[in-house]
Amino acid sequence: MNSINQLLSTTPQLWKGRQASRGQRTLPTGHTRLDRQLPGNGWPQGAITELITRKPGMGEFRLLFPTLADTSRQGQWVILVDPPWIPYPAALQGHGLLLDRLLVVRTGGGKKSLWACEQALRNGRGGAVLAWPEHISFSQLRRLQIAAESSSKLAFLFRPENAGEESSPAALRLKLEPGNRRGIRINILKCRGSRPPEPVWIPQLFSAYGKHWHQTHPYAAFTEHNSNTALAGSSLSATGRGPVQTRPKQH
Amino acid sequence: MPERDEAAERQALQRLAAWCYQYSNQVYIPGDRNGLFLEAGASERLFGRTEHLGKRLQQELGQLGYRALTGSAPTPEAAWLAAPEGLHIAEPGHVRRQLGPLPLDRLHLDTARRVAMERMGFRQLRDLLRLPRKSLTRRFGPALPDYLDRTLGIRPDPRAMYHPPEAFSSHLELPAEISSCQGLLFPLKRLLEELCGVLRGGDTAVQSLHIILGHEDHQDTPLKLGLQSPTQDANRLLGVLRERLERLRLPQAVREIHLDAPTLLKFSAGQHSLFRDTPAEQQQDIRQLTERLQARLGNESVSGLSCVQDHRPEYSWRPRTLDERPDCTALAHRPSWLLPNPKPCSIENYEILAGPERIESGWWDGHDCRRDYFIVRDTHGCTLWAFREYKPRRGWYLHGIFA
Repeated sequence: MNSINQLLSTTPQLWKGRQASRGQRTLPTGHTRLDRQLPGNGWPQGAITELITRKPGMGEFRLLFPTLADTSRQGQWVILVDPPWIPYPAALQGHGLLLDRLLVVRTGGGKKSLWACEQALRNGRGGAVLAWPEHISFSQLRRLQIAAESSSKLAFLFRPENAGEESSPAALRLKLEPGNRRGIRINILKCRGSRPPEPVWIPQLFSAYGKHWHQTHPYAAFTEHNSNTALAGSSLSATGRGPVQTRPKQH
Repeated sequence: MPERDEAAERQALQRLAAWCYQYSNQVYIPGDRNGLFLEAGASERLFGRTEHLGKRLQQELGQLGYRALTGSAPTPEAAWLAAPEGLHIAEPGHVRRQLGPLPLDRLHLDTARRVAMERMGFRQLRDLLRLPRKSLTRRFGPALPDYLDRTLGIRPDPRAMYHPPEAFSSHLELPAEISSCQGLLFPLKRLLEELCGVLRGGDTAVQSLHIILGHEDHQDTPLKLGLQSPTQDANRLLGVLRERLERLRLPQAVREIHLDAPTLLKFSAGQHSLFRDTPAEQQQDIRQLTERLQARLGNESVSGLSCVQDHRPEYSWRPRTLDERPDCTALAHRPSWLLPNPKPCSIENYEILAGPERIESGWWDGHDCRRDYFIVRDTHGCTLWAFREYKPRRGWYLHGIFA
């Protein structure tokens, strides 16, 4: 009896009925609503998290800001493999991703991209690897997951909508859609340790700026995380409402 | 039948002497025979008894491709006699007894003298040792008793020590042509092991290697390997080499390999912690990852990022090497991603959420602009960064994505 209990408490893939298993190492996502729903209350460490969106650019990267900022702060590296756009350093620094712990890898796509991902995942301990693979098969995903396990890294793969229909060995699969009140609605397609919980809505966060103009819209409220962080270089009110005066230096 | 290449043999002995430096700080290359002398008594506590050291040397030299016979004795000449028998003589007093039965052709004597001795009826070393010195000197000249004295330890035998060189250079002729890059890994592994033995012996490390692959009818193929930090580790060098070879296309089959390490740097071994958690080790890990990726994908494939002081977003960033410190400006209200080029768009398709932020600048290099930036949202729910340009061209463009 003891050995079964031990198995249940240490193996995330096994669980009893409706209880969630506890054997998973996780890092908090920084969004309380999401943390509450995820097994282990965070992103699985040493495994792949897939983020599936209908259209790239609808908030999937910003979802990771709190975790990536934490990773950077602890001195660990964040590696971007073949991002689809140009990363803007000033904005990344503003959200907490320290530039001296950020690496960008450009391979030209295809097998080389997956190889680079695997090397990045195998290397060292700790940190996060983010990739945007064009085509990746089940066995390639499995290989990446094993690589992530060996170094306890966080691995985030951003995938197009049709990937949701394919099967995948990833530990966590989230599907993101635009939600009400300009938030993001997250469907948890697959997770380890319990049945997929209910979808989560989280508010989409972006900062307010700009001069006074007649089409003011009240912006979405900041999450608890952002309101506590001091954002350097801009004076923002805590609730993000109303116009904010920031003038770039005029030459 | 391949000819005996004396120059290559001498060069190989030089390299082996440097390699043996990791086992002894007193190495001597005799000019007249194919072998090396190592002083082993001082490091007996480190490497164990001379039998064990001898076995270890034989094994490791075997891995490098050499067949070695080892033996030890209190004097160099006695050790030379002991080596073909595999004897390890511990006490000076035992030399006479253990080496006595050796036939005369083992001794390091010239042929004429040996023939003369055999004619006189001497067969073994002990026959010579039984004769009084004066008769030996009278019959064979002073060189022979001097040699015997040195062998027995009665007379000292000082030798000029070998000093390891400042650079490493080696050359391997392949017994059969190799036409695949993967096939080259095996001989290269041997050369790298030899190099690393030399490095360990001299407490040095390499940060760059030059490899030249020789073909029969074609110009040599050069290969340059650069690392992010000096190393003594053969596995690390082999890893980087393997990735580099993936990129290489051989014009012809390879017949010989030259390996050069032009500069040997001082090596300081760092402390290794169990979990590789310290920032210095993380830095080392990232460097190793970078050199592996760059070896296979090219130097431009891996970079960090840095900000540039410019108001125009497209000029306000640049890639940097990992050694540089990044310039950081934190602008949290800007998008995380920029499009490679601003894309013309029609603003009717988007809902404006915030703005404008006026950016106006760049008159000094001719790319001046006046733009009003807005945060907009499209029908799919993506939040984008668009601007209305007044100068130089009027119009609406998409510039960034708040992904």
